[in-house]
Amino acid sequence: MRLVGQSVKRVEDDRLLRGTGRYVADVNPPGVLHAVFVRSTFAHARIVSIDAAAAGRSPGVVRIYTGAEINAMSYPMLPMLMLPDLYTPLVKALSDDKVRMVGDPVAVVLANSRAEAEDAAELVEVEYDPLDAVPDIATGLRSDSAQLWEKADGNVLYDHADTFGEVDAVFASADRVITERFSSHRQSNQPIETRGTVIEVDPVTGHLTVHGATQTSHMLRWGIAAYAGKRRIRESLKSLATKKERRAAFLTAAKKFTTDNADALKQSDNAGAAHQIKRDKSTLLHMNRMGLELLGQEDFPTVVAQDIGGGFGAKGAVAREDIALATAAIDLGRSVKWIEDRIENLTDGGHAREEDIEISIAVDDDGTMRGMKVDLVIDHGAYPAWPIGASLASAIMKVMFPGAYRFEAFSMRSRLVATNKGKYVAYRGPWANETWARERIIDVVARELRMSPAEIRLKNMYGPEDMPAAMLTGPTLDETMSTRATLERAIELIDRDELASLKADAEANGRRLGLGLACYHEAAPGPPNYNDAISPGSGALSNETARTVVESDGSIIAYTSQMPHGQSHETTYAQVVADEMGVGIDDVKLVWGNTDKTPFSALGTGGSRGGPLGGGAIKYASREVRRLVAEKAASMLEASVDDIEIVDGNIHVAGVPSRGLTYGEVAGAVATLDGEAFSHNQDYRGKGDGGWSCATHVCMVDIDLETGTVQIPRYFVVEDCGPIINPAIVDGQVRGGVAQGIGAVLYESAVFDTEANPQTTTYMDYLMPSATEIPEIEVHHLETLSPGGENDFRGVGEGGMIGAPAAITNAIEHALAPLGAKVTDQYLPPTKILELAGIIDPDRSSGSS
Amino acid sequence: MKAPPFEYHRPSSLDEALGLLAELDEAKILAGGQSLLPLMSLRLGRPEHVVDIGDLGILDSLVVEPDGSVRVGALVTHRQVETSAEVAAHAPLLHAAAPMIGHRPIRTRGTVCGSIAHADPAAEMPAVALACNAAITAVSSRAAREIAAADFFEGYLQTVIEPDEIVTRVQFGPWPRHRRGAVVEQSRRSGDYAIIGLACWLDIEDNTITDAALSFFGVSDTPIRVAEAEDVLRGQAPTQSTFSAAGRTAAGVLRPTSDIHASANYRRHLAAVLTERGLAKATAESGETR
Repeated sequence: MRLVGQSVKRVEDDRLLRGTGRYVADVNPPGVLHAVFVRSTFAHARIVSIDAAAAGRSPGVVRIYTGAEINAMSYPMLPMLMLPDLYTPLVKALSDDKVRMVGDPVAVVLANSRAEAEDAAELVEVEYDPLDAVPDIATGLRSDSAQLWEKADGNVLYDHADTFGEVDAVFASADRVITERFSSHRQSNQPIETRGTVIEVDPVTGHLTVHGATQTSHMLRWGIAAYAGKRRIRESLKSLATKKERRAAFLTAAKKFTTDNADALKQSDNAGAAHQIKRDKSTLLHMNRMGLELLGQEDFPTVVAQDIGGGFGAKGAVAREDIALATAAIDLGRSVKWIEDRIENLTDGGHAREEDIEISIAVDDDGTMRGMKVDLVIDHGAYPAWPIGASLASAIMKVMFPGAYRFEAFSMRSRLVATNKGKYVAYRGPWANETWARERIIDVVARELRMSPAEIRLKNMYGPEDMPAAMLTGPTLDETMSTRATLERAIELIDRDELASLKADAEANGRRLGLGLACYHEAAPGPPNYNDAISPGSGALSNETARTVVESDGSIIAYTSQMPHGQSHETTYAQVVADEMGVGIDDVKLVWGNTDKTPFSALGTGGSRGGPLGGGAIKYASREVRRLVAEKAASMLEASVDDIEIVDGNIHVAGVPSRGLTYGEVAGAVATLDGEAFSHNQDYRGKGDGGWSCATHVCMVDIDLETGTVQIPRYFVVEDCGPIINPAIVDGQVRGGVAQGIGAVLYESAVFDTEANPQTTTYMDYLMPSATEIPEIEVHHLETLSPGGENDFRGVGEGGMIGAPAAITNAIEHALAPLGAKVTDQYLPPTKILELAGIIDPDRSSGSS
Repeated sequence: MKAPPFEYHRPSSLDEALGLLAELDEAKILAGGQSLLPLMSLRLGRPEHVVDIGDLGILDSLVVEPDGSVRVGALVTHRQVETSAEVAAHAPLLHAAAPMIGHRPIRTRGTVCGSIAHADPAAEMPAVALACNAAITAVSSRAAREIAAADFFEGYLQTVIEPDEIVTRVQFGPWPRHRRGAVVEQSRRSGDYAIIGLACWLDIEDNTITDAALSFFGVSDTPIRVAEAEDVLRGQAPTQSTFSAAGRTAAGVLRPTSDIHASANYRRHLAAVLTERGLAKATAESGETR
């Protein structure tokens, strides 16, 4: 029986549920030192002095490094994504002249135990000269606000406009223009496991092994190689001159990369880099020096990542802390360990979604939506996330804003504003607020035109008869953009009679019922021109490589550069490999997370790439190995390779299973030196078209008008991610995303006071929804095939989070609209609900509205 | 999140514990540890000495006295109270409040007396003690004294307990036959501290409210009884409109503040809502059970 398509039980569960998983906190190299960072207590201040003398005498302390000491031995982190009009500040490992947020690291204490390091960290005396804080977008946009980054234009790091189609003409000729201003609050990606890094130093060779909780092991390896442990340039040049092999290997790899990615690289323009270098000339200097460093380095670190307790984008980055830790470890020649605590994590482990969005729709009276204008401002926080953060989110939002609808024209202005808060990172569906704002205003438009939300969407949405088509912003659409089919199915699943009776019952009992829906499509991974639309040439990073091996004893091992951190790769990839190889799921072992063993991937796990790209690579690698095995078996069985079948691990001539061979027998017949009888490396960058995942979310809310409590008696999702590898795992992904969306609207808010002091630094104040807050979520599947056929898996990791905030807020407005409510904020705690319903007055002092 | 250095003591008798408290500066008593230990790990609490009373078996009794009063020793957990049929019968407010506290693992460690002594104004047990005017016994090497709950709470996490005293028990007086009570609260999530809560009871004789208690939590720096609203209830019939009037009075008297979880206006509004709901629940439940 084929395993793909079955709800096979997760093979990782046994290990994880028995508590035998191995997380970074479980790694303890001999003599490891525990690191604690000294962090700023001011949101914005100059550092006058740091006195670590008393702290240095504290019991158990081995060494304290100030920011200046670490930065003298490391390079600042350089921008990865350079967009026209974007200035990305260079970021030092630790802050040494100025702090820009509460929690900004200014020194690191290394001690024999964590407790001793915490004791000493309290004794480090930092004198600050406070500056005015920039706590929010409005302050940051003011020309007289205190400037965070000297080389920026005020606090605006990016101000860019794009126009697609004849926007002015369309807006002038439309029957009406409807404008609304929406505001989304700061949220935090909250993995159950915080960030953490152990830098293990081999006492003999000095080789670094980086144990990390990372979504992208190879990026971490290169980041540390590039930024940590700066050497004298002369040394690098000398090494480069003397180590011919190293230089040759590097240049060969670079040449392969440029050849493999010729098409993508041809698209890239230099406008972004030119703007960046104009703003900060040192970018170029650091780039050149770092390039030399990388060329001259003989020994790159090994990154090892095993079990990871979630990430949601927050672990897709190389942290400033990582660079400081590696720099200290290299300098001391000792292993060091840092496990982030929850206060650090809630302060700077990753924030997202704080955005103001003004949106106008040009619409005709018959409901034809013709044009859209968007003005987006993102609260960027103090430091840019590395390698990607707010700038990438704004670029994706621009591409996806028109959604599944046939607009004639679209324009968008995007601004990033620096504030004295935690960094904005990619958070599951990093662009999700385009869906939220668009689907919100479509409901507003529908109400004004007295149409139903479903009716206006159906009228304007692309359908299969339109394919192939293209979004105004560039990406091509094919049949896999099946959003309309998901909406049509969702409409069938709504029981109008039941809804009417529930609604009447609620109103008779001091409650209000509402129904909301939201539709979207997402690139999962999308067609190649999707990457070009975001940033020309960015497709060069999309390759995934997998390696399948049959060892000489017949065991089957698949190597992936994906970094599982909750997505169930161990199960789904084993399903794919087992089907290709004709074996059972227990016969396949997956290896990930060790950069010495796994193939290179620039991006690792993120961006809905695991199923389509990682899955495709592993499928075709396995298919090729199966062919090699079949060829060998054919010669052993004196048969034609075309007649070889492999069923349940029995390799035989079709029709004569009793005379078959095992993988061990075939592999054993191949002489090997390295123990690998058969192997194949497979590059894969997608099918070359389609690649859209789609869904419609439907949410019913039941609101208590006395307490403002929002219940969700029904929530369902109709999703289409193409052929499903494992339905139970897809359901889990969708439900987990919806749970985060429920958290976003009803519970989670990262709050700062007017001086930019964080107010939500424990789980008593940053409210994660728990099992009791999450209703049952129905998931219905469509499995649209693309015209291209083979390997049609599409990503499903982000969608739940993309659709949920829109569906829930639409439902709440639907429930409260008869009371005059208009929902323009995404965060709707009970106080806000009662304010919207006109039951209590907004509180002047709370500042929450 | 490691506690700053402290010295740990685990006395084996009450006298030894009292001796330690008398002689040590900056000592804190550890019972269930559900508030103290997180505060220490966050380095918000920095006792130099921690005196663990876990071995003092004398403090672990949960007893119903012959007169029907309920005596809760210092080591009795919320979970014991929650699962005791005797507590349900003789101290119904205590029993009703217990399941609202945190989550089950917290309730199996956290103690009733510890919660009262900690005096978090948003916690259930201090408000229940105040509603019932429970008697709190504090013992030191100098003396033993009994403090009425009404005199016990002084401010945010502040009580009249002296540094050398241990709260050894809290005693809930006999629950009158004609008394009906309920605990209601509004929290952001199940298990959270209440945004606002109410422990209340009514004495009803001949369809007339003869006495009442409205003890709110989460709206002031201590649990707080609203005498003006209780006055509104006395002498009236236990009807919806009486309850509403009391609720309006409570909302008018209370001066809650805003925080990130709810605005002051929200809390004031909820004071009225919870008064109505709490009193309705008290009277409805009594109808079912008695």
